[in-house]
Amino acid sequence: MNYFEVFGLPKLLNIDLKTLERKFHELSRKYHPDYFTTAAPPERQQALQMTATLNDAYRTLRHPVQRVEYLVELEGFKADGSKVPKSFLMEVFEINEQIEEVKAGNATSEQIATLRREIEERAARFDSQLKAVSVEWDKLVESGASEIQLKPQLTKLTEILSESSYIRNLQRELEEKA
Amino acid sequence: MPRIVGIDLGTTNSLVAIVENGTPRVIPGPDGSNLVPSVIYFGENGEVLVGNPAKAKLIEKPKNTIFSIKRFMGKGMTDVRNDLALLPFEVSAQSENILKLKIFGRDYTPPEISAFVLRELKRNAEAALGEDIVNAVITVPAYFNDAQRQATKDAGRIAGLDVLRIVNEPTAASLAYGLQEQRQGIVAVYDFGGGTFDVSILKLSEGIFEVLSTSGDTHLGGDDIDEQLMRLVMGESRTSPDPRDFPSIRKATNKAKEELSSAEETEITIPSLGYSRKLTRKEFDTLIEPIVERTLKSCRQALQDAGLKPDAVNEVVMVGGSTRIPIVRNRVQELFGRVPHTSLNPDEVVALGAAVQADILAGGKRDMLLLDVTPLSLGIETMGGVMSKIIPRNSTIPASASEMFTTFVEGQTNVKVHVLQGERELVQDCRSLAQFDLKDIPPMPAGLPRIEVKFLIDADGILSVSAQEQRTGKYQSVEVKPTYGLTDEEVERMILESFEYAEADIEAREVIEARNEAATVLIATEKGLKSEQFADLSAEEQNEITAAATHLQETVKIEDHRAIRDAIERLSQATQRLAEMIMNSAIQKALKNKRVKEVES
Repeated sequence: MNYFEVFGLPKLLNIDLKTLERKFHELSRKYHPDYFTTAAPPERQQALQMTATLNDAYRTLRHPVQRVEYLVELEGFKADGSKVPKSFLMEVFEINEQIEEVKAGNATSEQIATLRREIEERAARFDSQLKAVSVEWDKLVESGASEIQLKPQLTKLTEILSESSYIRNLQRELEEKA
Repeated sequence: MPRIVGIDLGTTNSLVAIVENGTPRVIPGPDGSNLVPSVIYFGENGEVLVGNPAKAKLIEKPKNTIFSIKRFMGKGMTDVRNDLALLPFEVSAQSENILKLKIFGRDYTPPEISAFVLRELKRNAEAALGEDIVNAVITVPAYFNDAQRQATKDAGRIAGLDVLRIVNEPTAASLAYGLQEQRQGIVAVYDFGGGTFDVSILKLSEGIFEVLSTSGDTHLGGDDIDEQLMRLVMGESRTSPDPRDFPSIRKATNKAKEELSSAEETEITIPSLGYSRKLTRKEFDTLIEPIVERTLKSCRQALQDAGLKPDAVNEVVMVGGSTRIPIVRNRVQELFGRVPHTSLNPDEVVALGAAVQADILAGGKRDMLLLDVTPLSLGIETMGGVMSKIIPRNSTIPASASEMFTTFVEGQTNVKVHVLQGERELVQDCRSLAQFDLKDIPPMPAGLPRIEVKFLIDADGILSVSAQEQRTGKYQSVEVKPTYGLTDEEVERMILESFEYAEADIEAREVIEARNEAATVLIATEKGLKSEQFADLSAEEQNEITAAATHLQETVKIEDHRAIRDAIERLSQATQRLAEMIMNSAIQKALKNKRVKEVES
C-alpha cells in the first residue's frame, strides 16, 4: 500500500492539511498498538506494522517537498541531483566559495546578509516553480491524462527537486557556518 | 485481563500507581509513603534493603548503598567518568561498554540494581491489591536513547515484570494532567527531575495526545545542582575532603538546596570538615543559572522543531522535584509568557500518568490515545564515517524506514551495517546503537544483490531490524549486537540470578520484622523491670530476666532472624510470671475503680 492509498487519497499534490490530520487521528484510533496489547501476537505485529506505515505516510505527505519527492519516486524517478544543468552547478559552486569565506571568517555581517538573501531568493523561486508544476500535475491527473502525458510533468518535478536540494544544502551550510 | 500497574522508575524516587474506577492513585509502601527512594543497600551477608531503610544507610555505608543508578542505565565507563568522581562506588574493571559496580566482589549492571527497586514496587502493589502483579508500564525520560530504554526494559524483566510499554515521562505527565482537566490546545511539559531534563510540546485534541516535538538532556537534573553545591563546599573547605565525606557533603548541600525553595537564606554545615557557611537564594541562583539556561535552550529547540513560537503554547505543566526551585519557575514563566501549572504533585504526576497509560493498554480507556515521537534521529554509517539519517527525530512512533544495501566485491556474502542515533554529521559524534552483519547473501557479482533492510522503531522507542534479499526474496539473518546493552542471554542469566535475591530478600525482611518485634518486647521488659511486682520475683527469676534481655539486645545486631526469634522467645518465657503479676494487679486496680464508681452512682 503506498502512502496515498493509506489515506485513501488520489495521487494529487495539493493536500488539505486539516483533512489529512483528521484522517490521521481517525486511522490511529483504529490501528494503534495500544489497542492490541491483549491481542494474539500476529495481530499485535500487524497493528505495529500498520501504524508504522501510517505514521511514515503522515510524516511524508504532511511535508510539501517530501510529498513531491515521494510521488516522483513512486513513479520511478529519482531526484538525486545528477541531471542538473552545468550553468546551475557553476552558480552553486560560486555560492559555496562565498560560504567558505564566511567559514574562514573573511566575511562582514553585511556580506553574510547579502549571501543569505541571494540563497533565499533562489529557494523561493524553486518553491513557486514546484507549486506551479504541482498544480499542473493535479489538473492533468484529474482530467484523466495518460502516462505518456504525465511523464514530462514528472521529469519537470524531478528537475526542480534536484536543483532545490542543492539550494537547501547551501542554506543549511550557511546557517551552520555563519 | 490481569491488572497493569504504572511505574515511575526515577533517579531519586520511584512510585507505583494504578487506575481504579477511572481514577489513578499511587500505591503506598508498607511504611505509608508514596515515594520509594531509589536507593539500594547491599549488606555483607547478602541482604538487600530498598527505599527508606536503604536511604538510612547512605552515610554509614557509602560504598555499598547505591543511589541515582538511573544515570548509568545504558552507559559505558567513558560516559560517566565525571560523575563517578563524586560518587563513593567501586567500579568493576570490565565496565567499558556497560558500567558495572563492584559490591562485595560481585559485579552488578545498572539494570540489575534497578530491578531491586522494581521488585520492591511490585511487592508493594501486590500487598496492596492482594494479587500477583506481572504487567507493568514503566516511564523513562523522553530523551532516553535506544540503549537506555532497552536497559529499563531489561530491568523490568529481571524483576519478573512483563513490561508492556515504555512511556516517556513528560507524556505520561500530560496524560494525568489532561485527564484531570479535559484540556485542548498546545501544552508544553517541562520535566526537571533528579537526574534528567525533558521538554515535550504536545497538541491535545479530542482525547488524542500528539507529541509534536521533544528535547532534553538525560544528564541534567537535581543531582547536577547538588554537585555544583558540593564543588563549592569542597573548594572552600580548609580540610580537603575524602570520598568518605561525600555522602555527608551531599546530604548537607541537598538540604540547603531544598530549604532555599522557600527560605531566602540558609546555612550549610558539615561538622566532619569543620565547615560552615551561609548561602543566600541570590548566590544559589547565580550558581545554578547555567544549568537553568541549558534547560531553556532545550525548550527553544523543542519549540523550533514543533514550528511554534512560545506564545502559541496554551499551557505549561511543571513536572519533577527540581521545578520546586523558584528561579526555575520564574525562568520558565518568562520564556513562555505564562504562569506554569503546578497543581499536580510534581513527584507523583508521572506515576499517575503511567497508570493512565496502563489503563489504556488494559482496554479501560478507548477514548484516549497517546502519539509519541522518537527523540533522536536514527541513521546508518555510510562511506567516509558520515551518518546518513533514515528516521528523523520527532517522528511519530511506531516509525519505519527501508534502506537498500549491496555488495562491493564479487561473491561477497556478508555486509556490515552500523546503526547510530544522534543529530551530528559524523559517526564519531553520534551514539552507536548496534552493529550487525547481513549474512548468507547469495554469491553474485558485486553490486547485484539488493538487500532491503527495514528499521522499525516500536511504540516503546526501541529499534528492531529485519532484512530481505530482493532478488531471491530470502530473509537474511540479522544478528544485532547492541553497543551499550545486554544481550538476551545476559538478561536471562540475570533473571535466574535474581531468584537467589528473592530468597535473600525474604531473609532480610524477616530480620527487619524480628528486630521490630524484639524492640517492642525490650521496651515492655524495661517497663517491667521498673514495676513494683519485679521486686516480688525470686532472685533467680530476676537474674534470668536481665540475662535474657541482655542476650536479646546482643542478638538483634546480627543478621539472623531465627536467632533473634529464639532470643525473643527466651525473654518472653523469663518474663511470663512477671507479666501475669503486672496484669493481675492491673485488673484488680480496674475492678477497685469500678466498685468505687458503682458506689458513687
